[in-house]
Amino acid sequence: MAAHNLTSTVQPSDVYGGDEVQAFVLDPGYYFTRAGFAGEDAPKAVQPSFYARINGADQPKDIYGEQYLIPRENLEVRNYMTKDSIVEDWDTAPKFWESLIRNQLLPPRQVAPKQNGLNDIPREDQEGDVEMGDSNGADKTGDTAEDEELKLFEESPLLMTEAPWNTTKNREKSIEMAMEGWGCPAFWISRTPTLVSFAAGKPTALIIDVGAANASVVAVHDGHVLKRSIQKSPVGGLWLSQQVQALWEGNDPKVEPVPFFMVENKAPVDAGAPAQYTARKLGFDISETFRAYEDERLRTEFKESVVEVWRGPTRFMMPGTEEIARNQTPGRVFEFPDGSNHMWRETRYRVAEGMWDDTAQLPNTPDEWKISAEQTLSSLIRNCLSGVDVDLRPNLLGNVVVTGASTLINGFNDRLNIELTQMFPGLKIRIHSAGLSSERRFGAWVGGSILSSLGTFHQMWISRKEYEENGVNIVEKRCK
Amino acid sequence: MSQSGVSPTPECVDEFNKLKLNREHKYIIFKVSDDKKSIVVEDASAEKDWEVFSGKLRDAGGPRYAVYDVEYSLSSGEGTRNKITFIAWSPDDAGIRPKMLYASSKDALKSSLNGIGAEIQANDEDDIEWSSVVGKVSKGLAG
Repeated sequence: MAAHNLTSTVQPSDVYGGDEVQAFVLDPGYYFTRAGFAGEDAPKAVQPSFYARINGADQPKDIYGEQYLIPRENLEVRNYMTKDSIVEDWDTAPKFWESLIRNQLLPPRQVAPKQNGLNDIPREDQEGDVEMGDSNGADKTGDTAEDEELKLFEESPLLMTEAPWNTTKNREKSIEMAMEGWGCPAFWISRTPTLVSFAAGKPTALIIDVGAANASVVAVHDGHVLKRSIQKSPVGGLWLSQQVQALWEGNDPKVEPVPFFMVENKAPVDAGAPAQYTARKLGFDISETFRAYEDERLRTEFKESVVEVWRGPTRFMMPGTEEIARNQTPGRVFEFPDGSNHMWRETRYRVAEGMWDDTAQLPNTPDEWKISAEQTLSSLIRNCLSGVDVDLRPNLLGNVVVTGASTLINGFNDRLNIELTQMFPGLKIRIHSAGLSSERRFGAWVGGSILSSLGTFHQMWISRKEYEENGVNIVEKRCK
Repeated sequence: MSQSGVSPTPECVDEFNKLKLNREHKYIIFKVSDDKKSIVVEDASAEKDWEVFSGKLRDAGGPRYAVYDVEYSLSSGEGTRNKITFIAWSPDDAGIRPKMLYASSKDALKSSLNGIGAEIQANDEDDIEWSSVVGKVSKGLAG
């Protein structure tokens, strides 16, 4: 749609985000930030919301970009989002996004060969330390390119997504950043459940969103989030990772994975045999935060290839079920970075069972990661529905929309169906989830992309003029 | 105002009033115009056969909105009732773009039509089976 632009002569000059200018669509999450141009099918940039802080020098220095999250002396890994999936670090967030847009959405800048860094003799302390605007060379090419980039920010409207529990203060910060910081001509912010429900063709829907830091269940009616229905808990991807960690630690023998970056080389070994690998010698200490970031990557791989949701019909903790899982389901082998490998059978179901049944959490789960009975997905759903009008419940249960990367675990939808059927006997349950995994991982982004590329959406944007007349609280008035 | 900026043409309201006040139509089918700027009337008819109407939705090749004057008799024997029913048809196998367009524009049409008695969000053929529609519209009171 928007990609095929019309000449500017047919566009009235006061139109924001008409066909000629592509809006930026920005969907920040705790684990990943997604960014791209309106009208496209998937975000061009999907980058972990983590960044590197280099300590040690007089002034700590922040570097943005996944490629800089490498083993390095004095490198600390930080995240600009909170575990509630909202933006709080307003010093860092705009810089993070700006760097993401400049480096991944805009075409690479033309720089004179002398300054492009490709011909430099590598020096050890320079690893990943090249940053935008670092070069003092005021060569003409670079300057022009920078001006053009600035112009792009000034010409591109910005659509952001937000968690339905985002605060007024944060929404106002967002528009302030767009208008004051970037000079955007127009701004809009949409709640993720609304976007997901629209993208599913269901303006009334029960949105079950299991992301990394949070799982949430929210009722959407005629495109509006019902505030009283909002339920969330930490039972998302990071929680599941902690179950994986507890599984490894409780295993006999205990599994103590070596992260990828510590392995120099490895030899194949039989299942269950000790690893034969050479450890990489770094010569400096690795920060806890970097190690945690790497451990999480490994656990994510394990979740994607081994973990499965027990489909039922009985809950996994029912006597006898574990035996069925052990004897009647195929096991999965997982090879760790050091070459050691293990077969996982019934336990690969057990780790995900706590999502539905808190008593199934592994006994060695650290206290700070233990969830209560009220925090399971089953409870979130029940509590969400008890917060809405009785007449609306059948409509919601007939239009359940599942989104978020953690729902891609095999068996998730089957189990959800069983849980819902048992919880609400007699009501018709229908679960919808995007067939394309990209639509499930980036559901809100895709919704925002299509919405803001609609030809009529220029009437919706909060324009710069409106912002200047009303100030930041225009966002509460307009983006309901 | 919808969340997309798409709005209905005056004709939508005119035809709806003909259905509501004069019973000139049994149903009206609306669609988003080809330039995606407004909602227009695609079809309006006095044809009473539900199957003809639902067939048109099935064959539309994408989402549609419709209004249908649903008539049913009460199982209690207290006569018949009519309810003007708004149907948001968005088949699950439609593309994500048309789904988004229709879902985010629905409110603009619905809120401009005064006198809607029931609403159905229909996403597959089961949802536009007569029995399912009557069950929902009558809240189980139809006989």
